[in-house]
Amino acid sequence: MSHAPTQGSGTAGMSRLDRLANLIIAVIVIAVAIAAITATSDFPSTALATDVGPARFPIIYSVALIVLCGILIVNTLRKGAAASAPESAGDRAGRLASRVNVALGIGMTTLCLIGMAYVGYAIATTLYLSSVMWLMGQRSRLLNPLIAVAATAIIYVTFSTGLQVPLPVGSLFE
Amino acid sequence: MYELDMLLQGFQTLLSQPFALLLSVVGVALGIVIGALPGLTATMGVAILLPFTFGMDPLSGLLMICGVFFGGIYGGSITAILLKIPGTPAAAATAMDGFELTKKGQAGIALGTATFSSFLGGTISVFVLIFLAPVLASFALEFSASESFALAVFGLSIIASISGKSVVKGLIAGFLGLLIATVGLDPMAGFPRYTGGYTELFSVPFIPVMIGLFAAAEAFKAMEDPAFRSGAAAMLSRIIPPWATYRRMLGTVGRSSVLGIIIGMIPGAGADIAAFVAYNEAKRFSKTPENYGKGELAAVAACESGANGCTGGALLTMLTLGIPGDAVTAVMLGALTLQGLQPGPLLFREHADLVFTLFAGMLVCYVLMLVIGLGSMRMMGRILQMPKSVLTPVILALCIVGTYAINNSMFDIGIMLAAGVIGYFMQKWDFPASPVVLALIMGPMAEANFRRALSLSSGSYDFLYNRPITAVLLLVAACTLLLPLLRQLKKSSAKSEAARGPASQGALAGESAGGTE
Repeated sequence: MSHAPTQGSGTAGMSRLDRLANLIIAVIVIAVAIAAITATSDFPSTALATDVGPARFPIIYSVALIVLCGILIVNTLRKGAAASAPESAGDRAGRLASRVNVALGIGMTTLCLIGMAYVGYAIATTLYLSSVMWLMGQRSRLLNPLIAVAATAIIYVTFSTGLQVPLPVGSLFE
Repeated sequence: MYELDMLLQGFQTLLSQPFALLLSVVGVALGIVIGALPGLTATMGVAILLPFTFGMDPLSGLLMICGVFFGGIYGGSITAILLKIPGTPAAAATAMDGFELTKKGQAGIALGTATFSSFLGGTISVFVLIFLAPVLASFALEFSASESFALAVFGLSIIASISGKSVVKGLIAGFLGLLIATVGLDPMAGFPRYTGGYTELFSVPFIPVMIGLFAAAEAFKAMEDPAFRSGAAAMLSRIIPPWATYRRMLGTVGRSSVLGIIIGMIPGAGADIAAFVAYNEAKRFSKTPENYGKGELAAVAACESGANGCTGGALLTMLTLGIPGDAVTAVMLGALTLQGLQPGPLLFREHADLVFTLFAGMLVCYVLMLVIGLGSMRMMGRILQMPKSVLTPVILALCIVGTYAINNSMFDIGIMLAAGVIGYFMQKWDFPASPVVLALIMGPMAEANFRRALSLSSGSYDFLYNRPITAVLLLVAACTLLLPLLRQLKKSSAKSEAARGPASQGALAGESAGGTE
């Protein structure tokens, strides 16, 4: 599902959301580039007379980013906002539900990452798999944990036993 | 012909050593599994296996390592095509069109094309290694820091052609990747840049970023789409591509294999660079370049033959000069030394029997890769038949474990997750992820070699135009970067003229109507 504008469409407009997203992204990237340039002031100058030093390349890349983002901003502003068809209440609710789902998915992955440090790979991954399956519409109280345990065990055996990659045990069990 | 006689003799010797053959089968199968798993690369596979080969005879040990190397490079394409998880960095290029083909229901034919192209690319490279090693080895010596810098710039110029709908957005993604690539220790003085005091950031966490941008971002996107969530099971269609279709790709495969061999020979350049360069050249020579990025079979063929062509090239300089072409052959160099073999011109003279038996074994490894690859494809294809509500969480779990496996680091998983979230938003607003990955591969190579070349030329920039290979590569890079920009500029001006045309005609009509009034 792409929300992005069709490029090269001359003066054809783009939705208000697309314009806003383009502008926000460009501003964020410019801020990152400025921060990167500012941080180079702490870099030491090179001891070699024939070297350009550690700051030169980051500065070149940052300046290029600022110029490119400037072009993106100008291009976006030149294109007018297209009149979008009125959205029904159902569509709006669906869009909101999708966003909540993604946010929950990212949140669960973060929790799994944090949990893994404490309870180890096995428990964290089993719980994580079970809950993400639930989030994605697989809602069986019996099947979800079973599949989660089986998948966790297969991954564990493949990595830990088969490929000798030690997986986290968790600080609570160490 | 000496080489041919020795090769035939090598085959005879190999056939009398069933244990070595068995270990090649094990090596190739293991390599495919390692390559297919996110986070585990061919380098890691060879490194894991190295201690097991100490007690083996040189041929068996080296063949097993070669099997893992070849299988590992190929294996990355399987998950790249089926799930958009590039198992290896080289497969990031394959994922661009491979996954699009899967979305179109052509996963089987994409996998088949990848397998045949990997086999052809690899086999051609082994033949080049056998027959042209001494000639090409001297060419590899021509590559110093300035040529490597020019190659990296040429690689980076590909960003313009893999940018998708918007070149500006592609370039922003590429330069962002280049900026990220400066995180870590400065290549000349070793000063930590943008690390925030974290030792984990002393080298660019390239693989976690790649897994996040491709696989995790795709999984998050799957959570958003209700149609995808409910997930109708996909089927693996025909696997072996029709001869008429594949015949048209043979030129691309041949060209990409040669490119792969050349890039493989250059120290520091590996299968990842070869795959991206092969992709770009295939697009440049294609009659339908507009299909690239949307599910073009020839793109998959180019990436895979380029990446596997790299194997022979990397082995060539390692065996003839003792210079490893990439990280895998650097580990293999250690294996050879441990087996009491000193790579270099004398290796071919003093251990000719072993070397040519090894070459015969390499050809057998590629045949095994073709057989195992095609044979296991139906089984691999069953992955697609899993309900999406189960597959997506498993992909995410694999991303987490695969990322952890690189350095046994939770920090890396955090990087992967952050890259996944950023990748999701990039995908949503049509910022391509591939330029970021390409920049992460090429950026450090470009900077390190530029600064090295500058030091070697006593601070003079003459090396940019004095050295013929450097000058040619930089010129080609400029053309590669500028042509898509000019093409897009021309297209948008033609469109705006076309849009202005009817409007101005309408205005004229209005004026004349007004006049009559």
